[in-house]
Amino acid sequence: MFGWKGTLLRVNLTEKTIQKEPLNMKDAELYLGARGLGTKYMIDEVDPKVEPFSPENKVIFMTGPLTGTFAACSGRYVVVTKAPLTGTIGASNSGGHFGPELKFAGYDGIIFEGKADGPVYLYINDDQVEIRSAAHLWGKDVHETTDLLVAETEEDARVACIGPAGERLVKFATIMNDKHRAAGRSGLGAVMGSKNLKAVVVRGTGAVAVAQPDAFLATSMDARTKLKAHPVTGVGLPTYGTEVLVNVLNQSGALPTKNFASGKFDRADETGGETLREKYLVRNKGCFGCSIGCARVTRISDGPYQGFGEGPEYEAGWSYGANCGIHDLAAITKANFICNELGLDPITMGATIACAMEMMKKGSLSREQVGRDLVFGDAEAIVELTRQTGLRVGFGDQLAEGSYRLAESYGCPELSMTVKKQELPAYDPRGVQGMGLEYATSNRGGCHVRGYLTAPEILGVPEKLDPLTTEGKAFWLKIFQDLTAVIDSAGICLFTSLGIGLPEIAAQIRTAVGWDCSDEAILELGERIWNLEKLFNLKAGFSKADDTLPKRLLEEPLPDGPAKGKVVELEPMLEEYYALRGWDADGIPTAEKTKALTIEG
Amino acid sequence: MKVNFYAYFREYANAKELTVDHCATVEELIILLGQRCGPRMHKELLNEGTVSDQVIILVNGRHIAHLGGPQARLQPDDEISIFPLVAGG
Repeated sequence: MFGWKGTLLRVNLTEKTIQKEPLNMKDAELYLGARGLGTKYMIDEVDPKVEPFSPENKVIFMTGPLTGTFAACSGRYVVVTKAPLTGTIGASNSGGHFGPELKFAGYDGIIFEGKADGPVYLYINDDQVEIRSAAHLWGKDVHETTDLLVAETEEDARVACIGPAGERLVKFATIMNDKHRAAGRSGLGAVMGSKNLKAVVVRGTGAVAVAQPDAFLATSMDARTKLKAHPVTGVGLPTYGTEVLVNVLNQSGALPTKNFASGKFDRADETGGETLREKYLVRNKGCFGCSIGCARVTRISDGPYQGFGEGPEYEAGWSYGANCGIHDLAAITKANFICNELGLDPITMGATIACAMEMMKKGSLSREQVGRDLVFGDAEAIVELTRQTGLRVGFGDQLAEGSYRLAESYGCPELSMTVKKQELPAYDPRGVQGMGLEYATSNRGGCHVRGYLTAPEILGVPEKLDPLTTEGKAFWLKIFQDLTAVIDSAGICLFTSLGIGLPEIAAQIRTAVGWDCSDEAILELGERIWNLEKLFNLKAGFSKADDTLPKRLLEEPLPDGPAKGKVVELEPMLEEYYALRGWDADGIPTAEKTKALTIEG
Repeated sequence: MKVNFYAYFREYANAKELTVDHCATVEELIILLGQRCGPRMHKELLNEGTVSDQVIILVNGRHIAHLGGPQARLQPDDEISIFPLVAGG
């Protein structure tokens, strides 16, 4: 067995049983691992209409064949479940060291079933696997939980856990590993919470064998060398982190400001990567096997927002920054720290606060209902409301449902900037047309990392596409979505695709698992995975009507910047996209397409 | 014309922004900046005398690739922004 370990853990929390079973290798060869293989297990074992918090839902931790190998940036694992925020397939991946450690212990993944009758955690120490009580950990934040679990297990153990937000079923609770890394989107931490599963602790002492060691070493070194030499992955990301994008997007007029009222924020520079580096950066940091080092270790040494941790990344810096009209980078950084400690997705958190700010501005919310004034630019509010949300106290209990449910409950759902109830990230699609199609078609709702067309549209990587036109966007999006599915399922970091491409990624996969196939065959794996996710969502009840955008982005022109006057021209792009995917006019994969892709079920 | 610098270009220019005399084209402006801001700026912006494709140059928020490339015409009140090749998100 090469790349994969060949063994899964199946943990039934209701029955308190643990089984080791062989990995389904037929499916592994069709769906690779991590995101793809986790989705295949979900669709085979769970009714897509399942209530996310019911014991019948499952939580699947899954690695890929490259996770824990010498491949470039091979520290990724994914969590797959039915997502509470969206009701779609939920698949969020994370870096750090947890995923590789699970492989070193001898397992490709873990399937959690049922619901424990009280707080528990799973402890894996190579062959020894136990369900243990987590009663003493319930209520503790991510940092405290991690420290306590390392102290009571192994010094070198790796911990993935939920914070108070996951325990309290906040709809956008994260699963945090290695304290600062997050399986961040769609509320997967709340599904762990619904099962009373506080944490997974793993210690492994094995290794991952590859099929062609010499060739694998050569392909991995080639990938690493190219990543080091590339200006984005070798200089830009390690030096400035992802926050360096703030000024580029702002100058391009596509930095969503004040809940997508505008694409320009006049104080954006104060929240950018250059300012973060100057004021609060301690050092950069990488995950397991990383050749890039984009993470920011940061410290606020004085003032009201003192703290130490990691981030913010670009998306969090935007959601709390321009989107809330806030230029105080200390407050933004502090709010992000709190998200990591309580286990919250900062994209949805900041965007939900921004939505509430607009609701109060328009009179849909009162000071009495919120318990305070809430205006764009109020830095103190983002810190306080983030804390309230993670603990579900005060108005935070309503924010904990996300912006769609919040706005809908007050009769103004049009103020929620979401797709499939998940908050959009930091690119106004009126100024980046292809991202509009990406948001509308993402299988997990509003999301930027399912087909990152911002790279070619704004940054000119690897091609230069005009962000204000629709031509060719469907074609490129399909390629980006399929390649991203391959990357996520192999167990490597998406940022590799900013410096290397399909040839280098496919070469690492082939030499690791011992395949003799073309690059195109590898890309087809991604297409198969994309179609499987789509089929899950269709079975869950989604339709073409859900492949859309907030009314504001379709009907209200951007008021300023280079994209002034533009709305998203979605419909023609969507029609072309469905046709390119081999789907019918309603966005349903045809029988011919699923047969050609060998999709069963 | 106003020129904005980002990331390490701020160190090379020793400024966040500069005001320069009107240049007729992007290429003319880039050559001027290479001369005015020293060898590091020159090396990053120019590749064997032509404008490097390893930088992001926006004119009023539009990438020069969509304005005709380095030969794009400039107006006196244009705002130019210069970034290294960055990505992420």
